[in-house]
Amino acid sequence: MKFFGGCDVGSTYTKCVILDESGNMVASTTIKSKINPEISANQALVDCVSAVDGINEIADLAYLIGTGYGRNKVPQAEENISEISCHAMGVHVANPSVKAIIDIGGQDVKGIAIDTDGTVKNFAMNDKCAAGTGRFFESMANAFEISLTEFSNLSLTAKNVIPITAQCTVFAESEVITLVGEGKPREEIAAGIQLAVAKRCFVMAKKAGAVDSITLTGGCAKNTGLKKAIEKVLKLKVIDLHDNGFDPQLMGALGAAEYARQKGLNA
Amino acid sequence: MKDLKHMIYFEKLLEDAHNELVVKAQEEGGLAIGYTCFHMPELLLNLDKCFSLRLRAPKTTSLEISTYYMSNYVCEFCRAILERSIEGGYNFLDGIAAVDACAQMNRCVENISIQKLIDKDKFFMSHIDVPYKVDDNGIQHYTNQVRLRVLDEMSKLGVDTSDEAIKKALDIHNEVCAIITEIGDFRKEKEVRVTGHEFHILNLITYTCPKALIVDMLRETLEEIKARTPDDKKWRARVVLVGSEIDDPALTEMIEDTGALIVADRFCFGSFPGRQQMHLVEGEDVLTCICRQYLEQSQCPRYMSEDKIQQRYDMVDGYAKEYNADGIIYEQIKFCDYWGYERAMASHVMQNEFGYQVLSIDRPYISKSSSGQLRTRVQAFIESIEIKKINNSKGAKRNGK
Repeated sequence: MKFFGGCDVGSTYTKCVILDESGNMVASTTIKSKINPEISANQALVDCVSAVDGINEIADLAYLIGTGYGRNKVPQAEENISEISCHAMGVHVANPSVKAIIDIGGQDVKGIAIDTDGTVKNFAMNDKCAAGTGRFFESMANAFEISLTEFSNLSLTAKNVIPITAQCTVFAESEVITLVGEGKPREEIAAGIQLAVAKRCFVMAKKAGAVDSITLTGGCAKNTGLKKAIEKVLKLKVIDLHDNGFDPQLMGALGAAEYARQKGLNA
Repeated sequence: MKDLKHMIYFEKLLEDAHNELVVKAQEEGGLAIGYTCFHMPELLLNLDKCFSLRLRAPKTTSLEISTYYMSNYVCEFCRAILERSIEGGYNFLDGIAAVDACAQMNRCVENISIQKLIDKDKFFMSHIDVPYKVDDNGIQHYTNQVRLRVLDEMSKLGVDTSDEAIKKALDIHNEVCAIITEIGDFRKEKEVRVTGHEFHILNLITYTCPKALIVDMLRETLEEIKARTPDDKKWRARVVLVGSEIDDPALTEMIEDTGALIVADRFCFGSFPGRQQMHLVEGEDVLTCICRQYLEQSQCPRYMSEDKIQQRYDMVDGYAKEYNADGIIYEQIKFCDYWGYERAMASHVMQNEFGYQVLSIDRPYISKSSSGQLRTRVQAFIESIEIKKINNSKGAKRNGK
């Protein structure tokens, strides 16, 4: 049996997926990224490979593809593919009915439209700015001195929404601190932050050409409060890949592994 | 492919506007005239002892001071030129010949002028009006502006601006253009013997160095390319690059690193337009004839009449066909008004009406400050072209074609 690997080296998390010849996911790993993308990729791959019976080291993978910002630093990878193409393919594998993605990663937001074969039809990407990214949420949760999960849950309890006007992470943090200082309800501020990011996602989704439904990928897909806010702002159904048995944070690595499987089998 | 003999030297020359060939030309009595846009007839800045330099700002640091004077929402190229002026990067210039082609560059040169940023003896600064209509009246007005505001200023420095001087400048201008065109034509070939990045550097040299000092090296480079064994590298896609100022070779290098070969360059500092030979017409006033050709050749999105807009779409379509491109990249420097509108419209039209795959990007002036994200965008675009090409060929095989 041959095995195929995909390694997505993101700015905050490094993810790895291994598929067998039939495309079944036989192992996956998610670790916090280190400052050196090569070390992150190596550790994630070693962890992932050790979970598969029949292979002992990275070199035993029949084909390996790197993706994510550190895609060209994945050790022993045959090639690298952009995370835009990989997220599209990953989601296509997880749920072929999905035609548009909002990928909220650690340092960027992307809107991606998927073609019928899992390739990219169109995409839009944010500027070099942390607005609306995982970093933005981390910063906001830090301002509240709570975890990201607590932040998400807090926003779901709000009866009203206090709009956050600043999109810049730095300015938004000071705005939030001011609102907290004024004694405004914390859950309403949190809901305002979710709304601000949802609006950012609206722009990306529309630019990419989302029509009737979207799915969320990347680490922020686990933020239930954001999912609700996006549904409200976009007026589009948000398909949850958890319902298909997949972790949305793994979509880049899954897409890379699927490309590796296709290329490895045709090689 | 074998490296081109002068390429490293050319790259070094691009590291500073005040490069060693400019220093040499000035030491030999030459006068360096800076300009900022295609609408200033470059040829006419090369009369007698003058030589033209299209202004770049390669060593500019952060744009703090120019942003203070011009605001955040002004084109970064214009701000970089002002910032570099403030830093003293153009103190060697003997004159700046600017054009009223866009409001943002107007503000830049206005600041250079009002703040007296270039304090050189006999330094002159002029600014000409460029009409929006290319008809007889517009050409006449433009020609008068060039005569009054540029040639007369040069005459005050003892420069010969006669028709004979123009004809002499035309000879070397046309020779450089002919060399660049001949090199550029190799990009039509299926097998690659000159990359888009190499061509970009060669072309940039012609804009930023005294032509008399580079023409021999260019001629030699042309012969090298003629004899060069084509590259066996497998390029993933061929693209036409369209947009505002690209004077940073790092950008074309980054695009080609993703596997996309740039086969045609319709951008400011590119060869379309800019490196087409000029011809005198018997019976037509020499100056008017040159000015007319500059106005007629311009493909700047500042011209908003329907026929000009359509002409620009057709022109890009023509380049894509002639150079066998698989896709088009529209780029603009952030906050460029004209290219902001053009990029938005044209990327839509070229995709939906002409059927091309199109990538649309905006970028900072210094592209390395955003290289990671730009690379991801370009790579995803190239992958998409490549995969669709593979799928189409599979479909064609299935259909027995």
